[in-house]
Amino acid sequence: MRILRLTQEGIRALLTHKLRAFFMMAGTLIGVAALTAIMTISIGTARKLKQQASKWPHDVIKVNAGGGKGYTMPQEAITTLLPADAEAIQDQIDNLVLVTSVAEKRGLSIKGNSRQTGTNVFSIQPNWHEVMNWYIDQGESVTDEDIATMARVCVLGATIREELFGEQDPIGEMVQIGNVHLRIKGILKPRGVGTSGRASDDRILVPLSTALRRLFNQEHLSYIRMTVRDPDKIEDTGEIRIERTAEEVRQLLHERHHITPPQEDDFSIVHSSIVIKDIRSISKTTTVLLIVLAGLSLIVGGIVLMNIMLVSVNERTKEIGLRRALGATRGDIFIQFLDESLAVTVVGIVIGGILGWIVSILLEKYRDLSIGNSWGLFALIVLFALLIGIFSGVQPARRAAKLQPVETLR
Amino acid sequence: MIELVDIDKTYGIGDITTQVLKGVSFCVDKGEYVAVMGASGTGKTTLMNLVGLLDKPTAGRYRLEDNDVVTLEDEALSHLRNRKIGFVFQQFHLLDRANALRNVMLPLIYADRYPEDAEDRAKKALEAVGLADRMHYNPNKLSGGQQQRVAIARALINDPAIILADEPTGNLDSKSGIEILAIFKRLHKQGRTIIVITHDNNVAEHADRIIVLKDGQIAEDKPIMQPRDAETELKELNNKEGQS
Repeated sequence: MRILRLTQEGIRALLTHKLRAFFMMAGTLIGVAALTAIMTISIGTARKLKQQASKWPHDVIKVNAGGGKGYTMPQEAITTLLPADAEAIQDQIDNLVLVTSVAEKRGLSIKGNSRQTGTNVFSIQPNWHEVMNWYIDQGESVTDEDIATMARVCVLGATIREELFGEQDPIGEMVQIGNVHLRIKGILKPRGVGTSGRASDDRILVPLSTALRRLFNQEHLSYIRMTVRDPDKIEDTGEIRIERTAEEVRQLLHERHHITPPQEDDFSIVHSSIVIKDIRSISKTTTVLLIVLAGLSLIVGGIVLMNIMLVSVNERTKEIGLRRALGATRGDIFIQFLDESLAVTVVGIVIGGILGWIVSILLEKYRDLSIGNSWGLFALIVLFALLIGIFSGVQPARRAAKLQPVETLR
Repeated sequence: MIELVDIDKTYGIGDITTQVLKGVSFCVDKGEYVAVMGASGTGKTTLMNLVGLLDKPTAGRYRLEDNDVVTLEDEALSHLRNRKIGFVFQQFHLLDRANALRNVMLPLIYADRYPEDAEDRAKKALEAVGLADRMHYNPNKLSGGQQQRVAIARALINDPAIILADEPTGNLDSKSGIEILAIFKRLHKQGRTIIVITHDNNVAEHADRIIVLKDGQIAEDKPIMQPRDAETELKELNNKEGQS
């Protein structure tokens, strides 16, 4: 094969100028290595976020106190979200199965069994378990009667129970938050790490009325959580039901809180499609970043390659003239010089790819980053690097092919 | 074998032109050993470039064997150079970073079909010029005479119709020069067609025909009745060295 022999000539020329070949390769190598590492890390991160998002139950709408966009947390300073709002939602919005109100305070001090620790207090209604799909392990939970009488009772999360009581049976024992003594009625099933990434078993559940009046001394809620019947159903208006419902809740609260857009909301609504949208936008940002970095690092590498090749062509005019005299056509010279750029690019891609993987694996091991892989994206990186290599090689190769033997052999 | 008719060559564009060759015509038959002579600036090199298909005449006809080469495109000319012409340059023009064997094989890379016995052929060509023991040396390890012999081996590898040599001894000492001329003489005896371009009488007298160029025209075209014999001269030279 003629083309194989020409490639061989090109590679021989590279091997006799190893340092030059290395500099030609450097840009591609570093660019591909960086891109490969960025790709694995951004895919890993996106996957991690997606896993978190998938924990968000897809029939749930949550109304947080405090404004903001996307995947927000309740804000403690906002006092406008009230139990009456929850009642209005329950009465006026269709297609809701359950509505539950929660007031929470994080990092409160709790005493019990002569020990002391800090925990998060969630004040709940009996239907909280159903809405959260999170039930009692031992004993019993908060009842309607407890709510009505503002009973001094509580349910412990697995972590806090372990911290205060160890192996002992805590049912019927007392704990103290501030000046309020609470009798332990039950223990929650352990759940591990929640959607927000926080340890969810570090909590104590208290009847809503007890918490508002006796513990927190406040009227307002942290959030209202509700489940929607057939959340994916397409309404007659063409909207998805959960999105339609969320919009209705928003309008109701606008009315109740006397908010007229563009005035800012004093609450924020979260549901699964918002969470997924958020994560998509995060992935999109990383993808854009990837492409920009791809452009820069590889284009710079390509420019370096092109310049070294141009210098090389100028240095080798005699050699080119000789080859032409001995029978090389313009095409032969073109292919041979393009092959030099291509060979360098291909080797740079291979080494860069391997290097990128090594870096990713090291980062995963020592920096607690998740990594992932997409052969499609990797192929895109390779393709892009190749295109840059070809593009950078064409100009010098054309210049080499244009040289006239008569002029170069003097 | 080759036939040039009324060849003109003009350099330059517009008003500032120089006509280097004016109506040059001659034929060379198969097996001839021709020296093209002339002082510098008489168009020797231009003629060599034309005969070697490295350049095209401004006017005139040139037949190389059955090919009317003036009408041919660049690619066809490249193929013809590869098959029909073996160049020997004053500056040798070897690839520095390749050994003698690879230098000799270089034209085969551009041949239509790469011969399977390429390496054997290159070895034989190097043996023919007396460099059997230098095959794996790079040019910088070889003397000028040896480098020129590598170049001749390279010129022979594709079994060309013409050996075209431009001042082949110009960069060599006299003994190496005689060695090169002895090789030419031997090739001539084997029936090769050789055209040597030179300004040096001592080189030209080894040919059996001399064409003298003057101001871009052929001033003289004459046979040499008793050409010098480089092979004999080389033997005498070696004997003399042996005695002293």
